[in-house]
Amino acid sequence: MPVEKKYETPLLDQLETGEWPSFVKEIKAAAENNAMANDLLGLLEQSYREKIGHWKHGGIVGVMGYGGGVIGRYTDLPDKYPAISHFHTMRVNQPAGWFYTSEALRTLCDIWDAHGSGLTNMHGSTGDIIFLGTRTEELENVFSKLTAAGFDLGGSGSDVRTPSCCCGKARCEWACYDTMGLTYYITNRYQDELHRPAFPYKMKFKMSGCPNDCVASVARADISIIGTWRDEIQVNQEEVRNYAKSGLDITKEIAMLCPGKCIEWDGNEIQIDNSNCRHCMHCINLMPKALAPGKDRGAAILVGSKAPIVEGALLSSVLVPFIKLEEPYDDLEIWEVIENMWDIWCEEGKNRERIGEFIQRVGLGNFLDAIGLEPQPEMVAFPRDNPYVFYEEYFEEEEDQ
Amino acid sequence: MSDAQPKRLTDIGPPHYQKFLPPIIKENYGKWKYHEILKPGVMVHYSETGAKLFTVRAGSPRLLSTKKIRIYADLADKYCDGHLRFTSRHNVEFLLTKEENIEPLIADLEALGHPVGGTGNAISSLVHTQGWIHCHSAATDASGIVKAVMDELLPYFKTIDLPAKIRVALACCLNMCGAVHCSDIAILGIHRRPPRIDKENLPKMCEIPNLIASCPTAAIRPSQYQGKPSVEIDEDKCMFCANCYTVCPALPLNNPLNDGVSIWVGGKVSNARHEPMFSKLAIPFLPNNPPRWPEVTNAVKHIVELWLKNAKKHERIGEWIERIGWPKFFRLADIPFQKEHIDDFKHAGLSYKRSVHLTYM
Amino acid sequence: MALDIEKVKEAMYKLVKDSAGMKKWKATDLHKACEELFGDEYDKRGIGKDAIKELVEEGKLVYTYFGGSYLEIPHKEGAAND
Repeated sequence: MPVEKKYETPLLDQLETGEWPSFVKEIKAAAENNAMANDLLGLLEQSYREKIGHWKHGGIVGVMGYGGGVIGRYTDLPDKYPAISHFHTMRVNQPAGWFYTSEALRTLCDIWDAHGSGLTNMHGSTGDIIFLGTRTEELENVFSKLTAAGFDLGGSGSDVRTPSCCCGKARCEWACYDTMGLTYYITNRYQDELHRPAFPYKMKFKMSGCPNDCVASVARADISIIGTWRDEIQVNQEEVRNYAKSGLDITKEIAMLCPGKCIEWDGNEIQIDNSNCRHCMHCINLMPKALAPGKDRGAAILVGSKAPIVEGALLSSVLVPFIKLEEPYDDLEIWEVIENMWDIWCEEGKNRERIGEFIQRVGLGNFLDAIGLEPQPEMVAFPRDNPYVFYEEYFEEEEDQ
Repeated sequence: MSDAQPKRLTDIGPPHYQKFLPPIIKENYGKWKYHEILKPGVMVHYSETGAKLFTVRAGSPRLLSTKKIRIYADLADKYCDGHLRFTSRHNVEFLLTKEENIEPLIADLEALGHPVGGTGNAISSLVHTQGWIHCHSAATDASGIVKAVMDELLPYFKTIDLPAKIRVALACCLNMCGAVHCSDIAILGIHRRPPRIDKENLPKMCEIPNLIASCPTAAIRPSQYQGKPSVEIDEDKCMFCANCYTVCPALPLNNPLNDGVSIWVGGKVSNARHEPMFSKLAIPFLPNNPPRWPEVTNAVKHIVELWLKNAKKHERIGEWIERIGWPKFFRLADIPFQKEHIDDFKHAGLSYKRSVHLTYM
Repeated sequence: MALDIEKVKEAMYKLVKDSAGMKKWKATDLHKACEELFGDEYDKRGIGKDAIKELVEEGKLVYTYFGGSYLEIPHKEGAAND
């Protein structure tokens, strides 16, 4: 149904020019038929005028039985913009790898046109399909139609957040394990943890197929599963020569930039000292036709990355230097490690303390003790350089000797 | 569509990805051998079976109307049997088996206003957050800055021969829903005024012990207001993280006079060559100047152009700066170095220069 | 005799109700309190998890989010517009 234009938007209109696709055009397109999108235009123009947002954070709306998947929002100007007096986000769990058919996309659009603002994010930062803006009374309607179409809500709050991954074996020769298969498995294994928040704070999984880490798992996931290999890089010398012929300076652009300094090029063949290879991917990235990760493939598992809130940003650090990730996934030992981590974190963690911060607070050594893993040199960049060691036991002279 | 309510299902998880994969991917899953970038935004993947899969990647504003998604779906039907995907940086990718469909698809995408590019040594779309479109704690807008920045950087989206890839991201507050802290250039909204306390509503909205515990610098203390428990803030201790506001909506930090944008540089997440790195502070504060944030777009463009001019091949921004040293970066960029650049949170001392490896020219 | 889930639900509900407005309960807090109340019979991964799930599905408790997820007695939220 057509909706009459309600607002002049001279500031936003200036973002319709230029060659990059314009979000203002998207909102205006939705506003032609949707009163919520129309009021959003008016509100956003006011924010642009006043240089301040006009949203209140809701903390209680959701679908029945779930504690995640819906982010409550209300404008602080409901009288002026009544259509967005409620404007809740729904996070819809994306298919692994973000592959769709046109039919599936149209189904999602039909649901959202009938019950929401007609505006989305494809996708949110964590990976979900974001349905941007609806009313409290529409949440169950959207949810029932989504589940009928085979979709479910993603995570929010202190729960397992929607796991995401790179396209892996679907379209990448560098995938060292089946990222999409494992992501699908993890998402289903932890449905309860995803929908019913039971943790001190959020818990993100991201699966990257190789050390290029296209889903930024080392920076953005509490559990970062990054594909790698532990045998020799596969080399096709003929193709290496072809790269050299086509102008690639193998000594300067590859050998000299190799962080392990383990590559030599004599003008005819490339030699790699694989025992010093750091698995950085640079040489493979530059010569994809000539080099490939080895055949003994798996992943390293790192833990603890997060954005600054509360105690500062962290990158994930190594917990398992190498693991084979092959089906049946049920049989992998890593689930016990992960669930032990959650147990100790739930027992001792503080509200809003991510697992990375928790590990920093209690110390990685103590954390390993608690989850039953042995310390390994791969877990640190270097051993301690301070001598204040917390020894836990000492000898006493025996009394009745 | 009927509005009859179907049976209530829960915990079904996402649809299985296999339902959505094109036949060529099902047949060649795990069998890809290598790929080539044919031109900006166009890749071909070769399988050991001899199959070839073409990908056409186009930029997107991330915020999409259902109308636009339906147009994507129509394009996918027209050119690739209805198969498409999205990338981790919000680009849309069409998955083609017919090479002859590439150019007509590109023409349609460009006509639609969605430029094709973002592959290889280029800038890809900006990962970003919601800003004033949806967020209660935003210190700036997200989509507006992204649009203005990408209008400026578009030539670097439609290329493949920059020194290395460049990843720019924006988060509209320190919560960093966009986790921008490891980007080549991060645009980060910041607050600079301590929270105002809504004393009337605080007791109704917030649990005080939890609120006090939320402050990482212990700047929030218990107090009384009209005989009821309340809090007061030691403003000197506030570092504007807004953690208190997330826990208690009665402590807003949003403030038009003081909110703005900071610029961080030199982060990366890939392991290629250098290990992953955090972005470091380049410009502590730029004003919110909607609708096009000229100070911010100029600063980003300036840093990108400086990198283009000075970097060696394969050096990302952080690798380039690490080679030349931060003092030289500040000199070249003509950015004044000030107190805010020096860390004063935990482990700050690790960032002090502890040698005389210095440059003077 | 095995622990009765209704007893656990009753105990959890009482904990939340009696401290409404003073203390917010996370799922982990309820587990810790129930471990004290019921001792070794209480299994947080089994009966504890089921009890919370049932309380929420019956509408007696509801998940809320204020910088962390909690379980509360259903109430009108402060920020809501009518």
